[in-house]
Amino acid sequence: MCPPRYFRVAYEINPWMVREVVADAGRAHEQWDNLVAVLRQAGASVEIQEPAEDWPDLVFTANAGIVNGRQFVPARFRHPERQGETDLDVAWFSAQDFTVSDLPLGVCQEGAGDALPVGSTLVAAYRFRSDAASHAYLSRLTGTAVRSIELVDERFYHLDLTLCPLDDRRAIVAPLGWDRYGCAVMEALIPEPLVLEPEEALRFCANSVVVGGTVVMPSCTPRVGRQLEAWGFDVVVCDVSEFLKAGGGCRCLTLALDVTLGLGLS
Amino acid sequence: MASETVEIEGHIIDSLILAKVMDLILAAGADYRVLDVAIGKTNIDLSRARLEVSTTDPDALASLLDELQVHGANRVVTTDAELVPADRDGVLPPGFYSTTNLATAVRIDGRWVDVVQPEMDCGLVYDGGRLTSVPMHRIRVGDLVVVGTEGVRVSPPSRPRGTHPFEFMNSEVSSEKPKALLVQQVAARIRRAKDNGAKVLAVCGPAVIHTGAGPSVAALVRAGWIDLLFAGNGFATHDLESNVMGTSLGVSVTSGAAAEGGHSNHLRVINEIRRCGSIAAAVEAGYIDGGVMYECVQRGVPFVLGGSVRDDGPLPDVYTDVVEAADAMRYLIPGVGVALMLASTLHAIATGNLLPAGVETFCVDINPAVATKLADRGSHQALGIVTDVGLFTSGLVEQLVP
Repeated sequence: MCPPRYFRVAYEINPWMVREVVADAGRAHEQWDNLVAVLRQAGASVEIQEPAEDWPDLVFTANAGIVNGRQFVPARFRHPERQGETDLDVAWFSAQDFTVSDLPLGVCQEGAGDALPVGSTLVAAYRFRSDAASHAYLSRLTGTAVRSIELVDERFYHLDLTLCPLDDRRAIVAPLGWDRYGCAVMEALIPEPLVLEPEEALRFCANSVVVGGTVVMPSCTPRVGRQLEAWGFDVVVCDVSEFLKAGGGCRCLTLALDVTLGLGLS
Repeated sequence: MASETVEIEGHIIDSLILAKVMDLILAAGADYRVLDVAIGKTNIDLSRARLEVSTTDPDALASLLDELQVHGANRVVTTDAELVPADRDGVLPPGFYSTTNLATAVRIDGRWVDVVQPEMDCGLVYDGGRLTSVPMHRIRVGDLVVVGTEGVRVSPPSRPRGTHPFEFMNSEVSSEKPKALLVQQVAARIRRAKDNGAKVLAVCGPAVIHTGAGPSVAALVRAGWIDLLFAGNGFATHDLESNVMGTSLGVSVTSGAAAEGGHSNHLRVINEIRRCGSIAAAVEAGYIDGGVMYECVQRGVPFVLGGSVRDDGPLPDVYTDVVEAADAMRYLIPGVGVALMLASTLHAIATGNLLPAGVETFCVDINPAVATKLADRGSHQALGIVTDVGLFTSGLVEQLVP
């Protein structure tokens, strides 16, 4: 994770960002510290990346790249506003002794924000931020089977706003963000989906972090909470409202480092 | 018709991306042809597909290609073909593109240019916007010749969709099929070709005369069904011999009995025609008053008689230079829609070498090997009809000259 020292809504690259809306720096810090505490309480250990003044969205570490064991595939950002983050991310992962595998120039892919493992498969999204052409490279670099999903609703510009895998059978899903082919593919992949209502999806319910048996969510409705508890998960809602102003929730603020693709979650 | 090839790679089957791309193409009113598909052997392996996307509207194609790119289907970058000037008469540049008889297009200055009259075993010469198949011996210094295969696109013959009159024939050479039906269908093809303003070419072997089919072929010429005749010295000689002497190679075409001294009959006829100067002159002099060659002369049907080493005479009309003979045939071929190869092996193959694959070709012979030989030499469009040429042509006359 990366502390929000320089976080602000400095530009508009998704429908949630409005430059006139000022993020409260103090509250952002409080919310971020609370999220770290909640994650640690749930059993996670949190590694910290130093923030950088020119790159306010560096807080959204989910987009840094894709982690696969000790391999790191850095993102290739669509927007110049974020492209400078990559050098910082590569430096951080190199310092941690990760092997860096680059995607070719000319294809965009925004890291774990647009690629999440479901079982032994990597579900990768395309259209708004990532290119479909990146998926074959991802598969080659990581040796993983990929399913390409087209995102169709710009409010869900990243896959992690529509999908939160819980274990090898279950996931929180917002099919409203996918085209009909993508829906069919996900239906085959996830036997027990928790399907979000549009208003739940728009409150970023799917942008949650799963640590062991705990689901850390930016918001939750009683219906969703009951279902998660029925499945044996503890639900913790963490207010990240300052970050929602930039279009990011709990998931966007984290990047899981203990991921090995092809193995599955459970 | 505008078309481009796109390539897509990834887990395109499991992700339904290939299905989506195909649906998008059809939804845009375009069509696709799968050129190649390699499906990954395991869940992890990638699959790859190449599709040819075509539509009547080039602008619609461009926007469709942009849309397909979003889904990872990228246009296969095709470069222009290489054009190299010939540096000697009668010699193609090294690495020249060797043609097939299939419809062929070449990319020049970013545009696909169609080959005007496809012919197999030639070079392709680009001149003033036209692209033609040119045989080696006719290459001239400075001709711009296509070299290599880059930027050359060959269209395989289209498989007819729906009810095809010949669909019941699953073998291309057919000896076990109802002949009357085949004759009807060939007659229908000839009628249709004529209705469309196309020419009908007959290629005849001497067996046409030996088996007594001469009068039937003559009737077809007389009734205007045949526009062009290719044959050799043998066919023409025996046709003329049967008219003058009533024999074909000394055997009576009516009684089947060998005539006394008949082995020299054809030589005497050739000799007289050589005296006249040409077949047309012999017709004019009244020496010839019937038969296939007579009808050709009377109706002005052009014919090419190609010579060979073993020819007697030959007749004065015979081309004794084989390259000239092939050029004469080549000159007449544009516009041919149907070719009938009648009991001819060598001339059928020679003609097959010159015909574009789009010409409907029927090879009638008692020996199935002839149709096979023709196909083996690249004339895959040839449909073999294994039957006696006499029976076949009289059936054709019944259909066309009632």
